Amino acid sequence: MSLLAAVRPGEQNLPLFLHVLGAMVLVGSLVLAIASLGGAARAGGAPVTRLAFRALLVGALPAWVVMRGAAEWIASKEGYSGDRTPSWLDVGYIVAEPIALFLLIALLLCGLSLRRLDRDGGGGGLLRAAAVLTALMLAASLVAIFAMTTKPS
Amino acid sequence: MAPVYDWLLFLHVLASFLLVTTTVVYSAVVLGAPAPARAISAANVLWAIGGLGTLLLGIALAIDVDAYEVWDGWIVGAILLWAAATELGRRAQVGVDANADGTARWHWLRAIAVLGILVLMVWKPGA
Repeated sequence: MSLLAAVRPGEQNLPLFLHVLGAMVLVGSLVLAIASLGGAARAGGAPVTRLAFRALLVGALPAWVVMRGAAEWIASKEGYSGDRTPSWLDVGYIVAEPIALFLLIALLLCGLSLRRLDRDGGGGGLLRAAAVLTALMLAASLVAIFAMTTKPS
Repeated sequence: MAPVYDWLLFLHVLASFLLVTTTVVYSAVVLGAPAPARAISAANVLWAIGGLGTLLLGIALAIDVDAYEVWDGWIVGAILLWAAATELGRRAQVGVDANADGTARWHWLRAIAVLGILVLMVWKPGA
């Protein structure tokens, strides 16, 4: 994503492709999850809650791994390491790591909500908390996309 | 680079994220997930915004950047794939609304077209 509009050495194309694709699927999965969580919080229902859980588990989590792994691949090819990282790359790291943490917490909340839903029809609060975390992840992703494309120094 | 270029690129990339978001939502739908009607409606709106955004901002970028021309092969190829994805997406949308057979086929073909656009944007063959 960082070099999307530029012509770059051919060896960077594959990691860049995987990085961008991973980021796109991550954002798409988060949008699907938040739409499902919103629907589940309003109307309830295990199927929609399960969809949100699966969007995070089968979509967002693997996409984050691909996005983050490919980012590291590009950084190593560019020779960025230790203190030799530009500020826009630091923004990427600062955003990506908390997204992983929030993702795991949102997954846990969705899973617990599903269990409570099956047991006594509850879990609405857990769903709302997961929705808030997902919204935060989306906002953070927007910051990362801005940083990767405009590269503020 | 000029701020205009930065904003064009940011909004162009953001628009492409919207296209993939729609593709992800439709993937869930054709795989049998009980996606809320609001999610499908939102996905259709995102496709419309993302489609217009990627095309118009992409052309603006090609004009703004001296190294590229709108008639470069990889840009023309991306525009053709964009047109194909738009038609395939329309058929997928109609199929989902009518719960018709063949919806999954149109959707997966659209997903391949979107993936092809991303390949062209990254590799830029001939540039």
